[in-house]
Amino acid sequence: MSAREEILRAVRAARVATFGNAAPALPSLPTVGEWPGGADGAQATRSALVDRFMVSAQGAAARVVRTTRAGVAQLAASVADSLRVDGDGARDPVVLSMVDAVHGNMAVPDDPHELATLDLFVCEGEIGVAESSAIWLPTSRLGQRAALLLATEVIVVLESAAIVADLHAAYAAVDVGRESFGLFLAGPSKTADIEQSLVIGAHGAKGLTVALIDG
Amino acid sequence: MTASSTASRTLPILDAHGAVDHAAGAERFTADVDRTTWHDGALWFVREKRDRGAASVPEWERLRDLASAIKSHTLSRLDEYLERFERRATARGIQVHWARDGAEHNEIVLGILAARGARRLVKSKSMLTEECGLNAHLERHGIEVVDTDLGERIVQLRNEPPSHIVMPAIHLKKEEIGATFHEKLGTPAGLADPDALTAAARRHLRERFLGADAAMTGVNFAIAETGGVVVITNEGNADLGTALAPVYIASMGIEKLIPRAADLGVFLRLLARSATGQASSVYASHVHGPRPGQAMHVVLVDNGRSTQLGRGDFWGSLKCIRCAACLNTCPVYRRSGGYSYGSTIPGPIGSVLTPGLDVRKYAALPFASTLCGSCSAVCPVKVDLDQQLYRWRQLVMAAGGAPPLKRWWLRAMGGVLADPALLQLAGRVARGMLRVLPPRLARRLAGGWGTGRALPEPPRGSFRDWVRANRPGRS
Amino acid sequence: MRAALFAPCFVDQLAPGVAIAAVQLLERLGVEVALPGGAACCGQPPANAGDARSGDAALRLLVETFAPFTHTIVLSGSCTTHVRQHAAQVARLGGPVAQRTYEFCEFLHDVIGLDRLRALAASDTRCVAVHIGCHALRGLQLATPSERMLPAMDKVRAVLGTVRGLSFAPLQRPDECCGFGGSFSVGEPAVSARMGRDRLDDIGASGADAVVSTDVSCMLHLSAIGRAAGRTLPMLHVAQLLATASGIGGA
Repeated sequence: MSAREEILRAVRAARVATFGNAAPALPSLPTVGEWPGGADGAQATRSALVDRFMVSAQGAAARVVRTTRAGVAQLAASVADSLRVDGDGARDPVVLSMVDAVHGNMAVPDDPHELATLDLFVCEGEIGVAESSAIWLPTSRLGQRAALLLATEVIVVLESAAIVADLHAAYAAVDVGRESFGLFLAGPSKTADIEQSLVIGAHGAKGLTVALIDG
Repeated sequence: MTASSTASRTLPILDAHGAVDHAAGAERFTADVDRTTWHDGALWFVREKRDRGAASVPEWERLRDLASAIKSHTLSRLDEYLERFERRATARGIQVHWARDGAEHNEIVLGILAARGARRLVKSKSMLTEECGLNAHLERHGIEVVDTDLGERIVQLRNEPPSHIVMPAIHLKKEEIGATFHEKLGTPAGLADPDALTAAARRHLRERFLGADAAMTGVNFAIAETGGVVVITNEGNADLGTALAPVYIASMGIEKLIPRAADLGVFLRLLARSATGQASSVYASHVHGPRPGQAMHVVLVDNGRSTQLGRGDFWGSLKCIRCAACLNTCPVYRRSGGYSYGSTIPGPIGSVLTPGLDVRKYAALPFASTLCGSCSAVCPVKVDLDQQLYRWRQLVMAAGGAPPLKRWWLRAMGGVLADPALLQLAGRVARGMLRVLPPRLARRLAGGWGTGRALPEPPRGSFRDWVRANRPGRS
Repeated sequence: MRAALFAPCFVDQLAPGVAIAAVQLLERLGVEVALPGGAACCGQPPANAGDARSGDAALRLLVETFAPFTHTIVLSGSCTTHVRQHAAQVARLGGPVAQRTYEFCEFLHDVIGLDRLRALAASDTRCVAVHIGCHALRGLQLATPSERMLPAMDKVRAVLGTVRGLSFAPLQRPDECCGFGGSFSVGEPAVSARMGRDRLDDIGASGADAVVSTDVSCMLHLSAIGRAAGRTLPMLHVAQLLATASGIGGA
């Protein structure tokens, strides 16, 4: 018997032994706004959601800048400028942008290894979660997802209208299986593996700026 | 830190029959009073962060109920969900493999790597691969395995196992990590600043990520409905590996299934807060297929899980989502360290999972608890850990896991406790002995109880003596 | 009203003063206290050590002894928990007896009521550290444990709160286990003693004048460790504090 058959047979026998035929039911999930005390639910005003998102982002060590579509280019330029290397080995920052407002100096490569020298990556989020500042980024908005990890700084553009209260609302709004990859991103890479000291920039981006667009 | 002193601290202490002696390991750990204080404090700090995170969610207890119910349901139909997951994942171009045990898992992984000629593997945190002993197996076959989670890399460089399932290097001080990095990564001697050490590890691991032939990750959740897996990190190491390498292998225990993508709303809200107190982990990646040109494999591993599912008293342990909240809150784990358990997964959850693999070898683990119940109260999926510890104790004793003398003593104690007259007599003798024996001898006769304790000052008479004299005829 | 009192084996032998105080206090509250002579133990010691069968005879005897009573007061949170969780499995009347069994504070809070306790006009100006045994806390839910995100509730402090002038010392870890754990204290002496010392350190740093507990077992463990370390903080069961504060002597 194959491993597959043997495991499935053992699992079936075990679950029948434990549960019989009276399996516990699959509970229905909370509907959006069911917990008004939680993340302000459906009653929450747009500005309450944005406020909550901004507090959460601070907790996740992300920077939030409220701006306009047109302002994103300027924001990107100032972040890129902070990454400029002068003196010996001077070079312009390498910028890859997935948003129209910002013009990078690098195109999405076929081989993600070419992103090793990336300084700034700009992309646009689909949904923001107020209670945690997590932002849903499907692969179509990332190009090569390695860019998110290899870049020193990341800017995620997010429409404030795309902020929902909590993860329940977020999962109701996105189809996570629509693309081969997608992630909820909350803040820059971090670790506390050395004596519980929080260190920003473990492997991935050292800084995350959320450009919040009030449409 | 010399190799021998490291080994003496990280290997479990075994008794004459090869069984883990948790009490001896704990005694070794607590002998360093200051380190015990520090370890206990570091974990309590995480427990307090968890409390604040949980308190920020008014529906916390409701989420726990939901998470528990979803897991219970999934386990009750696990074979169906596994088949559904396999079907959907396969349709997405993911190759699904099945492994009955750790050895089979290791062979499958080696086979995938060998077929691609892969020699350099980067791996994000996976307690399953620890359980299977994968690293040693691959290294024997000439594969370079680099654990990329910072904590795991630290213990790997020191040739130690993780001492905690979320914070693998929680037992180490920054000076010790600095010394290891000085020796292995060439950082300046005496460097012990966490920022600087993390930066050094970042540079060192960047090279490994960019040069890897294959990436491996564990799996936090596998979604039956969509055929995808969810991998969660704060560092981004899992994503760096899978975003670059041409081969991606995800290994998961078969209990990681959940029915629907939307169930993640419940689990993700609980997981990060329970583990570290964060509202969200940084990277919660949903992988539903390989990148263009990449090969993606998922290995489904049983290794004793189906047996545990069939144990009516213990199947609930399979609900575990590996947040480690029960370790952080356990007053015994905090003061005995991960290595005292001699089990891949230490702490309360390890003490109910591991005896299922070898009840004699791990007979001591269900007794490494005061049954205070904090683990059950903190568990985000409501595993009744203290009840399972109690039930394991019964099975361990029935399986002859206790020394014969202890069994005899327990039976005798049971006899005395059921016989009020005999108990009164025994009590009178004991109280009398406590009065007349020299304290040191009395302490020795009291065995373990005499350690660090002064024996009680015996009262003259018992309560029953008082009742007879002062409240006669009250029965 | 009439209620039976059960003083478990170790209270009977090692802390008779606690049981005497409980009897006298209950009598002052107008309870007719029955003190049946049958059972001496609930069977928990061998059961927690992994040999429930050796404890079953004791538990059956307890069920038989207390079956005739409408209320049974147990002077131990951990014994009460054991009876609640296991009596139904060992004896026909086990279920009903378990339902009619109360831990001491629980009885005062749920059956006697705080108003009647206030009528004792008890007074004590000390600042006390409260140590609720783990089984009383989480098994019997006498208070909301720190892990749970539930409305704050504390029957022990509510009962003690009827004593005029009494204040509570805040602990860094309000419900950390003291490390006794029955057979754990024998089988794992190093961690057990360390936990006890840590608990005493927390209590010592709180500025408390005394420790008040629901469980004599925790008190015996903590005071044994305290004495070995030269600490002499008074340790009282809730019954002892209430009796003394109510001017009931002889305890």
